[in-house]
Amino acid sequence: MIDLIHVTKHFGDAVAVDDISLSVARGELCVLVGTSGCGKSTTLRMINRLIEHSEGEIHIDGQQIREFREESLRRRMGYAIQSTGLFPHWTVARNIGLVPRLLKWPAARIQARVEELMALLGLDLEEFADKYPHQLSGGQAQRVGVARALAADPDILLMDEPFGALDPLTREGLQEELRELQGRLEKTIVFVTHDMDEALRLADHLVVMHQGRIKQQGRPLELLREPADAFVESLLGGEGRGLKEAALLPVSQRMLPLGPRLLARERIGQQASLREALSLMLWRHAERLTVVDDDDLPVGELSLRRLVGVRSDD
Amino acid sequence: MPVERPRHNIVLLSLSLIGLLVWLALDTVSVAPNRIVPGTAHGLVASLGWGGALVSALPLLALGALARRPTPTALRLALGLTVVQLATLPLWLSLAAHRLVDPDALGARLGIGAGVWLLLFLLLMLLVELRSRLSLSRLAGVSLLAAPLAVLGWCLTQWLVPLALWQEYQGRRDQFLGAILEHLALVGVAVGASLLLGVAAALAMRRWQAAQRIGFGVLNFLQTIPSIALFGLLLAPLAWLSAHVDWLAALGVSGIGWAPALLALVGYSLLPMVRNTFVALEAVDPGVIDAARGMGMSRGQVFRQVRLPLALPVILEGVRITTVQAIGLTAVAALIGAGGLGTFIFQGLGQAAMDLVLLGALPILVLALVADALLGALTETLRPGGAE
Repeated sequence: MIDLIHVTKHFGDAVAVDDISLSVARGELCVLVGTSGCGKSTTLRMINRLIEHSEGEIHIDGQQIREFREESLRRRMGYAIQSTGLFPHWTVARNIGLVPRLLKWPAARIQARVEELMALLGLDLEEFADKYPHQLSGGQAQRVGVARALAADPDILLMDEPFGALDPLTREGLQEELRELQGRLEKTIVFVTHDMDEALRLADHLVVMHQGRIKQQGRPLELLREPADAFVESLLGGEGRGLKEAALLPVSQRMLPLGPRLLARERIGQQASLREALSLMLWRHAERLTVVDDDDLPVGELSLRRLVGVRSDD
Repeated sequence: MPVERPRHNIVLLSLSLIGLLVWLALDTVSVAPNRIVPGTAHGLVASLGWGGALVSALPLLALGALARRPTPTALRLALGLTVVQLATLPLWLSLAAHRLVDPDALGARLGIGAGVWLLLFLLLMLLVELRSRLSLSRLAGVSLLAAPLAVLGWCLTQWLVPLALWQEYQGRRDQFLGAILEHLALVGVAVGASLLLGVAAALAMRRWQAAQRIGFGVLNFLQTIPSIALFGLLLAPLAWLSAHVDWLAALGVSGIGWAPALLALVGYSLLPMVRNTFVALEAVDPGVIDAARGMGMSRGQVFRQVRLPLALPVILEGVRITTVQAIGLTAVAALIGAGGLGTFIFQGLGQAAMDLVLLGALPILVLALVADALLGALTETLRPGGAE
């Protein structure tokens, strides 16, 4: 879907991005993560040609991006940024309808699409359609930003720290929704962040960048288990990696079927992460938890030994 | 948390007390037997008698009392009292004219004293303060002036005939409207031309760094030349041009008159216009521009649909400043024969007739205030989403 082949970007003598190669498959959520100034935003902005790459090739569906007209290339890709970039002089509805209008859709179709997107992102039509951006909270504004990015139903979504300025609670809510949307809409997403927890939570494909180069890429669990070097290891949290990994694994993966013993008093959902299970054990001083399904019916049990990965129980 | 009680409105209190003070202490009117002789000043009691003095001070006392408990009702009452006080000022002047001016002395004139001018000023300040406290629109504030103006107009036809300012106006009735139109034409053309040039210059400066440095240098320099000197400096080259270029001479261009006035006005207007336009265009949130480009807007679309509309309120702010400044500066242009209301000012100065000076100065003041209010209101309506 998106291929970067030996791409380099110079600004004068400075090298911002140094010979990187990266393939993002269709429907994949690829997260570029790294410290500030590592070239992750530059990489993102080269994909929609807000920054022109100096060397190498960038392909979209096998076609070089320089073969497209800049504007038509960008209209095929959604773009969401940290400051939302909503137009302060336009209403929410008009902001969302921006790209369809640029593509000269008929008014009725734009209207229908705006309504559909507002419903998709949980923005009440009556309440928000005619509001202006300054009347929205940070989370609402970012929802509008994402809705606007999705407006023309692009295959590709480029997101530059879209949740960076939000409070942790709102941020987690939107991350959850993004994953859920991604599962439903099957967009190809390139997502830039400096927040490793966010990166691990969202990524199918995690790319760690440092000083303009790709240090390591792969699935989040692979990187956690086998960091390529000390830098990646420390970025992933060093000794704290265990908890980060536990946060990615669901309880259902480690639980045992219900045994003949009495059910443990403390319960946890099977979709909860091992991290949450561990936290509950610490909090309640419990060595065993009863795992329940969505209807709160017991489906298995999880002991501390199983949780930490010891093969046999007892 | 402590319960919030309405505190004294200190602005209302001090304005009404100062108003009371100047009304009681300063001259109310002056009476002169003819135009040239300086008049004799009369205080409040001499002008209105004890009864009149007392009654005329009552609304001010009441205003002071209302300031102690500024509830919304009290503020509305205060607004009413202010308008009443404004509307009664012409009546008090009429009373003074009746008492002090001999109806048989034909040339006798009634001058308005410092007390009345200052009270007028303070009352207008009160009006502004109360308007904002009660969050009334600009339009409502202006329409409140209708009643006092109507009273003034009526008094002028009946009892205020000896008012010196009115007599000066009667003497120059025909020139007065012409002078206002000339004044407005000069301001309009100067502001219009500097708007076009200013936007062009600001766009050029955004494009080329060098133009920015040189442009602001030249404009800042222009601004430092005193206006009279600039008129003088333009005299020679324009006289030369009109002597050597036939069609310019046919157009009426010469070393004095409207041509140098217009050039100087445009020169002065350019700096605020260019500066505001430039800053307005530069100050648009880069995140918004980034998003606009990233969404696939062309450069032209970004400029027309995003940058320009967002910059417009600040650009209009520049137009407002420039217009008010040009209205004032055009008065000086009368010195080189450009016409306008400044003519009365300089005639009045020459003849030591202060009322004639006022006949020129007051309309300039009013024009400036009206232009300021109109353009301010326009800017307000253009703010994105009605606020920011």
